Amino acid sequence: MRYMVFVKMREDVGEAPAALFEAMGAEMDAAFASGSMIDAGGLADTAQSTEIRLTAGDVITTNGPWAEAKEVAGGYSIIEARSHEEAVEGARRVIDLHKEHWPGWEGSVEIRQIRGGQES
Amino acid sequence: MTASDAQAAVTAVWRHEAARLIAGLTRMTRDLGLAEDLAQDALVAALDQWPREGVPANPGAWLMAVAKRRAIDQFRREDTARRGADILGHELEDADRRDLADAVDHIEDDVLRLIFLTCHPALTPESRSALTLRLVGGLTTAEIANAFLVQDKSMGQRISRAKSTLARTGVSFEVPTGAEREARIADVMAVVYLIFNEGYAATAGDHWMRPELCLEALRLARLLAALLPGEPEVHGLQALLEIQASRPRARRGRDDEPVLLEAQDRRNWDQLLIGRGLAALDRAEATGKAVGPYVLQAAIAACHARARRAEDTDWLRIAELYDVVAEAYPSAVVEVNRAVAHGRAFDPAAGLAVLEPVSGDPALAGTALVPSVRGDLLERSGNHAAAATAFHEAAAATRNEDERRLLLRRAAKNSQPGV
Repeated sequence: MRYMVFVKMREDVGEAPAALFEAMGAEMDAAFASGSMIDAGGLADTAQSTEIRLTAGDVITTNGPWAEAKEVAGGYSIIEARSHEEAVEGARRVIDLHKEHWPGWEGSVEIRQIRGGQES
Repeated sequence: MTASDAQAAVTAVWRHEAARLIAGLTRMTRDLGLAEDLAQDALVAALDQWPREGVPANPGAWLMAVAKRRAIDQFRREDTARRGADILGHELEDADRRDLADAVDHIEDDVLRLIFLTCHPALTPESRSALTLRLVGGLTTAEIANAFLVQDKSMGQRISRAKSTLARTGVSFEVPTGAEREARIADVMAVVYLIFNEGYAATAGDHWMRPELCLEALRLARLLAALLPGEPEVHGLQALLEIQASRPRARRGRDDEPVLLEAQDRRNWDQLLIGRGLAALDRAEATGKAVGPYVLQAAIAACHARARRAEDTDWLRIAELYDVVAEAYPSAVVEVNRAVAHGRAFDPAAGLAVLEPVSGDPALAGTALVPSVRGDLLERSGNHAAAATAFHEAAAATRNEDERRLLLRRAAKNSQPGV
């Protein structure tokens, strides 16, 4: 089964410590090597994003930043796992690394199964 | 945490850690069976402790620490093995120190050593697949039995027989070097390819595809490419499997019948996997070393993958690649594929010229391969009466009902006057 994992955090948290970059890099290398991670990427800040919304028949285009948003997606990965628990275990490590290398950081990882594909 | 939550968490951790755990313990104990038993003991301990205390921050290190402790305990308990305990004790301490110094390099060596063991030529091909899925892939015996459609019990016996064969024949635990290395890498790749094909063109069972086996093989191929980045063929194998694995959704028709490559709806190809396959092919070529059969097959698969419509396929390039394959690895099946490619790249007569010399080849006798390709080429050249005869001959030869229906339909089409 394929999963999309979002890392979400407040946008005003500042730069991540170098140690976290390093630890995340090693973790992702291992996940790519083991074949479980298919794709991953960081997302630019919401100052460079656009939302197009349909409300009551009106289409409204709004440019970022989303100052009012509590948490926004800062990165994503696509992983292949044989069970929901296995996907959760992979994602949990991301939170553990943040806990270890970025004191005071708060945020979340959201794990969503991608429908269709090859899960027959 | 409930017991079933803990069970699920332990299973998930096992999948992530099995290869590294068993590989590390195999290095320390020089005994594959013991290494697996120790790892299993650690899992049992986790099932007992994690529901009460939660999953530890570094589950892999936790399992390894428990397993090492058990190893030392066990050796100390056995009086006759007292000397062994001393040796093991030293080795474990050394290993601990090394783990801190260069953990990453070490783990990679361990896992590579483990794969060379589970794909060892002393084992039968079936045993190699089963043992690799069990110890490197972290699958349970029941899962492997299910994938290969055999009873749990006989799969369990096959796996334990394989382990005792390795112990009995006293195989080397070292990563092979020199000329042996090339041959052993080829053995490992053959195991991964066999697992993939067992899933891709299931030879038995109600379903003609078993995607879980394809997925496991793909994971093994990616792991291998990370462990042996300087080997072009390993990247070629990964590329080939990524590209083939991009097509299962398009390979099945509305009634679960197989759909041939050219008739597939390419919108159902998995572009993410195609992208990964093409990148792996680039890595193979970037090594600058001589390529072999996997890179060549991957390069052919890539020609199809790059074409968004069947008519955009670069048949000229495919024909060139098959010429190279036929030169380096001649076989009747390759000639048939080469005939198809030449028929598309040039004209049907060029395809028939390649096909005819192998039409009587004993390797293909009794199969539908030659007559069905001949029928296709004759149809394209406008020789409908001869095409109908060829399709009838092919229909009589095939053992697959879906294929027979398709061939008879084409035969009928060519029998109609004025087509």
